[in-house]
Amino acid sequence: MNKVSVSLFSLAALVIVSALAAITFGPADINSTELLACLVSNCQSQVANIIIWQVRIPRVLVALVAGMGLAIAGAILQNTTRNPLADPYLFGIVSGAGLGATIASIVLVDNLTIALPLAAFLGALFSVIIVVFIAKVLQRMEQLLLAGVAVSFMLASITQFILYFGDPFATNRVIFWLMGSLARVEMANFYVIASVLLIAIITVLALHRQIDALLLGDESAASLGVDVDKLRLLMLGICAALTATIVAYCGGIGFVGLMIPHIVRQIIGVTTLKLIIGSALIGAIFLIWVDVIARSSLPHAEIPIGIITSALGSIFFLFIMYRSRATFL
Amino acid sequence: MSTLLNISALSWRINQHTILHNINFTVNKGEVIGIIGPNGAGKTSLLRCLTNQGNILASANISGSVQLKNRPLKHYSAKEIAQHFALVMQKNDSIFALSVEDVMKMGLLPHKSLFSLDSDHDKAQIDLALNKVGLSHVLHNHFNQLSGGEQQRVLIARALVQASQILILDEPTNHLDVYYQHQVLQLVSKLNITVIMTVHDFNLASLYCQRLILLNKGELICDGSPKEVLAPEQLSNIFGLPCQQSIDAITGATKVSFYLPENNIQGNIQHNTQHNKISATSNE
Repeated sequence: MNKVSVSLFSLAALVIVSALAAITFGPADINSTELLACLVSNCQSQVANIIIWQVRIPRVLVALVAGMGLAIAGAILQNTTRNPLADPYLFGIVSGAGLGATIASIVLVDNLTIALPLAAFLGALFSVIIVVFIAKVLQRMEQLLLAGVAVSFMLASITQFILYFGDPFATNRVIFWLMGSLARVEMANFYVIASVLLIAIITVLALHRQIDALLLGDESAASLGVDVDKLRLLMLGICAALTATIVAYCGGIGFVGLMIPHIVRQIIGVTTLKLIIGSALIGAIFLIWVDVIARSSLPHAEIPIGIITSALGSIFFLFIMYRSRATFL
Repeated sequence: MSTLLNISALSWRINQHTILHNINFTVNKGEVIGIIGPNGAGKTSLLRCLTNQGNILASANISGSVQLKNRPLKHYSAKEIAQHFALVMQKNDSIFALSVEDVMKMGLLPHKSLFSLDSDHDKAQIDLALNKVGLSHVLHNHFNQLSGGEQQRVLIARALVQASQILILDEPTNHLDVYYQHQVLQLVSKLNITVIMTVHDFNLASLYCQRLILLNKGELICDGSPKEVLAPEQLSNIFGLPCQQSIDAITGATKVSFYLPENNIQGNIQHNTQHNKISATSNE
């Protein structure tokens, strides 16, 4: 077994260990013996049963798939656009989701549990459609990122305008939602995110050689038989669906898509197969532990997860940049 | 010799501007062909048509036909074209730290199905190709850290892994030192596959190509052996400089030199006027 396989197997083991360990963290005191009993047979206490199966396990599983999804979306975008700064957030996806959530919160006050994620998803999709449309009009797929940044600011300004004049209660709710949280997730959310994630992973694994061919330039890829524009559009669509689904349920969780692929390139490899599998595993481990910090570092309160990913992410990112000055990227 | 490519009455106009005009020639299996001509003569455009890059032959601006094995090239899928042609571009670099092995694996793409992984056979092919270009030892090195000549050789090795029948090179010696220019062209000419390349330097083209095609202003001026194509009157007409043909004492190849007469230095010749003897290698 070569070095890369050893790393990937170790990471996979670490994902499982992290997920199990993360279930033990939380305000209610449940020790590992009790946890084990609940997982493999019947719980002795009804309360522990509910906490483990309806609160903690869905939450850890959503953290796992959301971390995987955001990291993979970043990895796909970076490789298909050959831009190390590409990130789903730069395509206006979160701004679009924010606008959707804002409109839902202001207009539909009732039944927000279903309406908010749905509106966020539609908003995210809307922003991606605008970005792709602009790039198509410009006939330059390379300018997707720039178009994304412009659209992102435009949608954010509309959101801020609505929030500024909107009901303060609704405004609060949207702002907290934008900071990201896994506090309200359910098992159903996990199934939805996991299905989109599965489709994304299967598509990328099928096309991994095509995506790799892009790494040495569009012309080189075209000479190897790749339809460059079509491939890039398909990948953008997949990243948009993946990010929009995650953002709809979990709110804004920044920096994962940008940071994780960089770490993976350092320790595993730059080609798509290695990058995707590595990003999925490290992304999952990262978000599981960030969520543990979010819910257990303060007594009687949670820190929004987006704040921690951005804080930890930026420090870690600078550290990695400093350590590998010569070979960064 | 069997005919691989047949180009007939190929013309390409954009608005009133002629890019290629009534080009006719055939390419036989195993030939090493150099396409030469001044800047803007249509060399790279011709290569684009020969490989139908970006499905260019479907464009309304292009008339005439390019046939590969007696079948119109535009009827081939992108994957089929990649199985027949391997391209080595002028400039290839990646922002990410690709290894030479990663670059080599790209050559497998036209022969691979979705989801496929690398087999032992693929790895053996990669080793064999790198061995052929004398670079077995760089398999795990970063592609970007190789010299220009080594990068070109890796890309030629990638073309071998691609197992296509025709190797297309666009100015393979650009940005290379003299030593690497000879090394790369000698390698290409001894691969025993069909090669079509644009070459800026007439004397290098003459040394390593069996056949030259001279283009000027989108028209095919001459197609033949280096001795025929590098005829002094012909080149003088195109470049506006007196030209002399000779035989190289060491290699035995035809070579040409251009002279700028002393009294013409103030003249209206647009080319490089720094030296009064300008070798045909001058590169703007």
